Amino acid sequence: MEAVSLTIDGVPVTVEKGRTVLQAAIEAGVRVPYYCYHPGLDIDGSCRVCIVKIEKMPKLQTSCSTVCSEGMVVSTTDPEVADARAAVFEFLLINHPLDCPVCDKGGECPLQDFSYSFGPDESRMDFPRRVFDGEGVMADVDFGPTLMLNRNRCILCTRCIRFMREIDGDAQISVADRGNGSEIATFDEEGVHSLLSGNLMDVCPVGAITTRDYRFKSRPWDNPAVADTVCTMCSKGCHTSVWLKGKPEWARGSKLVRITPRLAPEINGYWMCDIGRFGYHWVEGERRLVRPIVRGADGAQAAAGWHDALRTVGMLLGAAREGGSGALRFVVSAHAATEEMFVLKGLMEALGEAAAATVHWQRSEKDQPAAVKFTIPVTDAPNVNGARDLGYAVGAGNDGVPDLSALQQAVNAGSVKAVYVVDPGPAGSIGDLSWLAAARTAGRPAVLIVQAVESSPLTDAADVVLPGSAWLEKDGLFTNDQGRVQGASRALAPPGDARDDWSILVDVAHALGVTLGYAQAGDVRKAIAEALPGGPYADVDQVTFARPVKASHWLRTSNPSERWKWDFMFQDLPPVKGHSVQTEQGYVDGRVLPLRPVG
Amino acid sequence: MSVSFQPLLTRFVREPGSATLDFYRARDLGYEALRKAVTTLQPGEVIEQVKASGLRGRGGAGFPTGMKWQFVLKDSPKPKYICCNADESEPGTFKDHLLMERNPHLVIEGCAIACYAIGAKVAYIYIRGEFYHVQRILEREIEAAYRAGFLGTNIFGTGFDCDVYVHRGAGAYEAGEETALIESLEGKRAQPRIKPPFPAVSGLYNCPTAVNNVETLCNVPLVIAHGPEWYAAIGPEKNSGPKLYCVSGHVNTPGVFEAPMSVTLKELIFGCAGGMRDGRTLKAVIPGGSSTPVLLPDQIDIPASFDAIAKAGSMLGSAAIIALDDTTCMVWMAKNLLAFYRHESCGKCTPCREGADWLYKLLARIEAGEGRMADIDLLLDVSRNIGGKTLCPFGDAAIAPVVSTIRHFRGEYEAHVREGRCTVPAGWRGRGTAVMAH
Ligand SMILES: Cc1cc2nc3c(=O)[nH]c(=O)nc-3n(C[C@H](O)[C@H](O)[C@H](O)COP(=O)(O)O)c2cc1C
Ligand code: SF4
Ligand code: SF4
Ligand code: FES
Repeated sequence: MEAVSLTIDGVPVTVEKGRTVLQAAIEAGVRVPYYCYHPGLDIDGSCRVCIVKIEKMPKLQTSCSTVCSEGMVVSTTDPEVADARAAVFEFLLINHPLDCPVCDKGGECPLQDFSYSFGPDESRMDFPRRVFDGEGVMADVDFGPTLMLNRNRCILCTRCIRFMREIDGDAQISVADRGNGSEIATFDEEGVHSLLSGNLMDVCPVGAITTRDYRFKSRPWDNPAVADTVCTMCSKGCHTSVWLKGKPEWARGSKLVRITPRLAPEINGYWMCDIGRFGYHWVEGERRLVRPIVRGADGAQAAAGWHDALRTVGMLLGAAREGGSGALRFVVSAHAATEEMFVLKGLMEALGEAAAATVHWQRSEKDQPAAVKFTIPVTDAPNVNGARDLGYAVGAGNDGVPDLSALQQAVNAGSVKAVYVVDPGPAGSIGDLSWLAAARTAGRPAVLIVQAVESSPLTDAADVVLPGSAWLEKDGLFTNDQGRVQGASRALAPPGDARDDWSILVDVAHALGVTLGYAQAGDVRKAIAEALPGGPYADVDQVTFARPVKASHWLRTSNPSERWKWDFMFQDLPPVKGHSVQTEQGYVDGRVLPLRPVG
Repeated sequence: MSVSFQPLLTRFVREPGSATLDFYRARDLGYEALRKAVTTLQPGEVIEQVKASGLRGRGGAGFPTGMKWQFVLKDSPKPKYICCNADESEPGTFKDHLLMERNPHLVIEGCAIACYAIGAKVAYIYIRGEFYHVQRILEREIEAAYRAGFLGTNIFGTGFDCDVYVHRGAGAYEAGEETALIESLEGKRAQPRIKPPFPAVSGLYNCPTAVNNVETLCNVPLVIAHGPEWYAAIGPEKNSGPKLYCVSGHVNTPGVFEAPMSVTLKELIFGCAGGMRDGRTLKAVIPGGSSTPVLLPDQIDIPASFDAIAKAGSMLGSAAIIALDDTTCMVWMAKNLLAFYRHESCGKCTPCREGADWLYKLLARIEAGEGRMADIDLLLDVSRNIGGKTLCPFGDAAIAPVVSTIRHFRGEYEAHVREGRCTVPAGWRGRGTAVMAH
């Protein structure tokens, strides 16, 4: 790295050659405000709040557009800078509605924060404000299927425009009109139609672009905890943060209020797609399975305890196995974590049926512009490569098409007596298994066990249903399309009696008389590390999983380039009364139930 | 007072048919400067001659043209471009219009020589949206130049290729700013780019580009045809060559006048333009287009050159001299101009987008007799917060009328506040809402 040394406010700073003064200031922890600059987008130089004084330059310079040079002497605190900067804040606010009390950005708004730090105490503007679509939240207009736009709040930083042009590859947003009448617009008011639309809420430094999903739902100070995890809605494995609402115990509704991307330069950059961002409602949805279900002698399904359910599984599978080799078959969703697949593999090997499983998942072509810089893979499952690495047959691999036809033929031929499905993804994510439900209903196979998280026609057809955990409810390893082994962390407790899937499999093994000897998930990861030495799994037992932490901590640590600016936030917020967010202490790594011997 | 100077750029503009190629070949330079350049000079020599001539850009800033061309990255493997800035939107300016309408071949010849000098094969004439008929003339005459072999491939058998295209803008003052012009040429909104990189390094389609004013390019054939020494001898030192002045306002005979830059503002107003209308007295002069600070009558006995006007505290700018008589309310005038600037601000950067409108509102309030004394200082403060802090020089342009009228005519502002009305004897004054350019 070729380095350049300069001083900022008297402090010597050394940065990589080519970095701008603003980037150098951010790296050095010097507070310089900015709006049009975004580390993931091109430089625009238009908002003018990042101005600094640089020795030997006649005018104040915008630090975002000035490249550092050797020996540069920069001041961000000179009275001339402070004065001019305050003036820009005055300009930014003369038409801003200041409806912070009803604005979704309130509490995490750079316009609020920086104005407090750098703006003038009061405005000298005494003319009526510019109003675009109405006053207050009446100004919120549709901005496509996922977003709302409030033009009165917009400060025309053009980050949204540049995001669409540079990252999405389809420049759907532009400015209409000019000068003081400039407004953010889409052609014919169509709004934004993109699988990356949610990022526009992230880049918008004010509450002009909000997501319909998060709108009016919460406040940053109501979200006292955030967990860093990894998205599992496709094989990309974007790094994300899950925001949990702390709420009085009596309140209803969900804890999970939003998911935002977390900087991962080689995976997702600053971005994530809408599928992962908005596709979390099922986790706390109505269809979650919260108790084991067993089909009784009368043919009706009824809730049961774990002991009874596992005993029933043991008996049914034990009986089916008498049909000989190949009589018991497994279908595993590629949403299963590596730990789960590993335990299942151990079970199958112990049963002498090493090849009894078929891995299956859903695929879908994403409609994205040709110039898109953030592509969403066709594989809608996070762990095809994990399955491959464990030795499961996955056909053409991550990008291939999974194939159940051999299993289907065997089922039709009647050689399969029992099918066990491991499906910890949202309903349908394992692919189309309606034929299997129909087959079971028709009596072939005689036994269908479904370990799943959501009720579906498949669970309706099952003899025993074992409730597992969604990815946000457990620590798990997933190997993304680049072959990176990543740990997705638990953010929530599973609902009701639902349990970690690997431990369910250990108990099922036990019910079949196989002792696998894992007491906690860490034991499984240790075994994986031993079984797959020398490669990306060699130290998976060392993977640390994040726990929900206070949002203020997250804001400081999640995005290194924005880190410093949150330092002053969330310092004096009132505690949320009786909030029930589970933090580090609350989670005991998915224990195995003590089980009485089957008999 | 009369100015005796044989015009060089506009000598034939009042003769019928002056725009045609035949006329240009029979009476004017007739592409002989282009022939001389491409057949006898190396591109570097053309640039040296233009440098030696002292030619300074006529678009507003007076930047030395030869130097601008020298900065163009000639070693770049990318194509180079000449952009002829024909956006001419500065209030009071109407000289480029005349050149293109009556002497288009001089413009075209200038474009071709400029291309040769910087190693470009293409020149775009970016013409203001409202100049429909001028565009037709230019296109017709470019066609004629192609037919005669002065444009196209292998010009004068030298292997030099040159195409000239006319691109009409949608009508925006800001499109005249060189980087905004480039954006607009690329099909985007006419909003400026952050500099650096300068167009000479990364301009049109991110290729090395020189943006030159129409009048600037019209001077180039003169330099080549007659030699840099001859050219440099016209007018004062460092302010060489013939200059077009657009004199307007309350004068008897407004128009475009050509003179060396030794001519004084006074001669231009009282000689060329026939003095003040109706025997009125001169109150103030805007010397270089609406974005230049006003001068008082006792400041105008100075050469209308880049350097002399700068010394007097204003700018030659686009050489649009607007003479204002004693019936002009300066508050009204500032308001009128700010109506223009607020309307023309491209809106890209914060201080100009928000500030120009605020200035207008304050001026309108004072002019309507509803202002407060504090508004006057607020005007100055808002102006100070715009000046030098915007992305492009538009911000500086917009505040000039406000700051300079308050400096010289603060009493008029105070009278508006105190009396609640205008106290200037209103012989003639624009009333009603200000006229928008577009
Ligand atoms: C707001 C603004 C408007 C401008 N309009 C024009 C114009 O209409 N014509 C022009 O030649 N230059 C205009 N300029 C100056 C150009 O940016 C540029 O300096 C000029 O075209 C360079 O040509 P020259 O070197 O031949 O003077 C404008 C500049 C600004 C900031
Ligand atoms: S909507 Fe938001 S991101 Fe877009 S220009 Fe306005 S403030 Fe910037
Ligand atoms: S100064 Fe005015 S015209 Fe220039 S970029 Fe800023 S808003 Fe646009
Ligand atoms: S952040 Fe530098 S001008 Fe906007």
